[in-house]
Amino acid sequence: MTNTSAIRTHDLTKSYGSLTAVRGLNLSVAPKRITAFLGQNGAGKSTTIKMLLGMTRPSSGDGTVLGKRITDPAENRELRREVAYVAEDKPLYGYMTVEQTILFASSFYSDWRPDEAIRLLSEYRLPPQRKVKSLSKGMRTKLALLLAFARRPELLILDEPSEGLDPVAIEHLLQTLVTRAAEGVAIFFSSHQISEVERVADHVCILEKGGLLLDASLDHLRQFYRRIELVFPFPPPEREFQITGVERIQTKGHRMSVFASSNAEDVVERAHNLNAVSVEVAPVGLRDIFLETVKEN
Amino acid sequence: MFFKLTPTTGQPLYLQLMQQIRHATETGALQDGDQLPGIRTLAEELVVSPNTVAKAYSELEHDGLLELRQGSGAFVSVKRRTRSLADHVQLARRRLRDLIEQLRENGLLDEEIKRAFEAELLYPADIVRKR
Amino acid sequence: MLWYKAWLETRSRFLTSLATLTIFCAFFVRHAQGLIGPGWTADHNRLLFVTQQFLVIMWILAAVLLGMGGIVREKAIGISSLTLSLPVSRARLLAVRAGTGVLEAIALGVAPWTIIFLVSFLAGVPILISQVVFYVALLLGGGLTYFAMAVLVSSLIEGEYTAPAVAFGVVLLTAIIFDAWLRPFNLWRMVTGDFYVDRHTYLLSGHFPWRGTLASMSGAAVMLLASIRVIQRRDF
Repeated sequence: MTNTSAIRTHDLTKSYGSLTAVRGLNLSVAPKRITAFLGQNGAGKSTTIKMLLGMTRPSSGDGTVLGKRITDPAENRELRREVAYVAEDKPLYGYMTVEQTILFASSFYSDWRPDEAIRLLSEYRLPPQRKVKSLSKGMRTKLALLLAFARRPELLILDEPSEGLDPVAIEHLLQTLVTRAAEGVAIFFSSHQISEVERVADHVCILEKGGLLLDASLDHLRQFYRRIELVFPFPPPEREFQITGVERIQTKGHRMSVFASSNAEDVVERAHNLNAVSVEVAPVGLRDIFLETVKEN
Repeated sequence: MFFKLTPTTGQPLYLQLMQQIRHATETGALQDGDQLPGIRTLAEELVVSPNTVAKAYSELEHDGLLELRQGSGAFVSVKRRTRSLADHVQLARRRLRDLIEQLRENGLLDEEIKRAFEAELLYPADIVRKR
Repeated sequence: MLWYKAWLETRSRFLTSLATLTIFCAFFVRHAQGLIGPGWTADHNRLLFVTQQFLVIMWILAAVLLGMGGIVREKAIGISSLTLSLPVSRARLLAVRAGTGVLEAIALGVAPWTIIFLVSFLAGVPILISQVVFYVALLLGGGLTYFAMAVLVSSLIEGEYTAPAVAFGVVLLTAIIFDAWLRPFNLWRMVTGDFYVDRHTYLLSGHFPWRGTLASMSGAAVMLLASIRVIQRRDF
């Protein structure tokens, strides 16, 4: 395979009248990686995905998925052959049985693995003859995921895959994602379950109000993001700490909390030079990075 | 293989894995020639991205601790003695430094510390293998 | 497997309509003679003519029902992203849906008349095959326009119940308009055979209206092409 981005967008924008759902998005998702897509509801995640898959036309801008242009209907049709997508609402046809659904979906893709489908059918304990409309929500989610996981696409796009799943099923889901990644599938998934993201994702993109706020590898975030808690014998001098890397400073009485995306060492040094009585440096989990990043904006 | 990676400790996961593998070779849990699980297998077991495992293995190969054989897997190689020996010695010196500092704080004189070390090396008491 | 999906989707609608239409026609032709009363000239032929009038109404309603569905309806119930993520063009999606509907609509026209033919034969009043063909051809030639209209409405209007409501509304509207103003082009009178029936024999005579049928089929084709355009341009 080539090393072209799995997904690349260039100033992708979508407006509905006066409302801008996606604003000048420049997304770059590398192949052979697990990339998480975080954002509040309404941040533009689903709209972006719909533009990538040709369901919605961008107001302006362009993009490619697996090297094919998303705005060209014929090319988009080609890329859809190599992309497996499970939408947030886990869409299925109520009037089909589990078996009919699988038969139907498999007929469109040359990357379908029948043995994998059989294995997942029994692992998920889905009754083949039951009509989809009489399945529970959890079973419907599993069936929708099965349609994607029984394939070996180049790219897997999942929107809130763990919604509606019990913890055992979630663990299975994460293991499946890891297995697919090991088989060379690029994974792009959005999730509100930050702890899941932290475990398996290589890279994270944070979307807010239609724009990309953060685009970094998780290892980088782990290595550089720090929260430094300082106590001074006098009211803390906020201005002294507005250096590169410092994202937010909160002061309360003699205590100062510094949220830094890099350069924690400089903050510590400065604190010592300013006679801080207490200096505590702690790593920041992805949830806090997300909350702080979005709050800041 | 018993590795545990914690996403929230402020350390890249691949570094954690590297440390834990190194530690295993130091304590003898992994011996020279032992085979580590394949990238995919270990990733599935730990439920982490295969890129994490791949990077850890690749860095350890660069450091001389692992030998990655195409098609067969990753093998521990404690053979490259010169490099890892230097590492061990460096680590040992650091540990000794801390220990000596502590003993001094406890009131021992340098001469007493030196004699205690010699005694231990010549007539070792029961070695307690921890971890 | 798009045809299979379209079949599964329309299966119950189709089979219900098929049963209703054929059972109605069979019963009507077999027993209505007694109800209609004595003293009719060429009474069986007249009965057939009346049957066609009922059949037309029921067929058009069934055809409109068959024209419902599609990805706009799927969007209303939240499942369009499955269909749209398939590696098929929107034109193909609509074409298969329309194709399935047309085949089903044809079956809904042929089956009742086949039953009528058999019932008449068994009752000892055989009818001419040419008459059967004439009636069926009139029904389909003019009636498929209504099917195409239903497909267009279901491509424009989102809403599981709004779309059929509008489609039935259009049927009603056309009936009124045709009766009030467009007499010479009255589609209703064409499909029921009103223009071609001989008032004495109640047989359909005269030439088959090729021009009228062509015009109506062209209208249907235009509406189907328009549906494709509408679907292609829509944002989901």
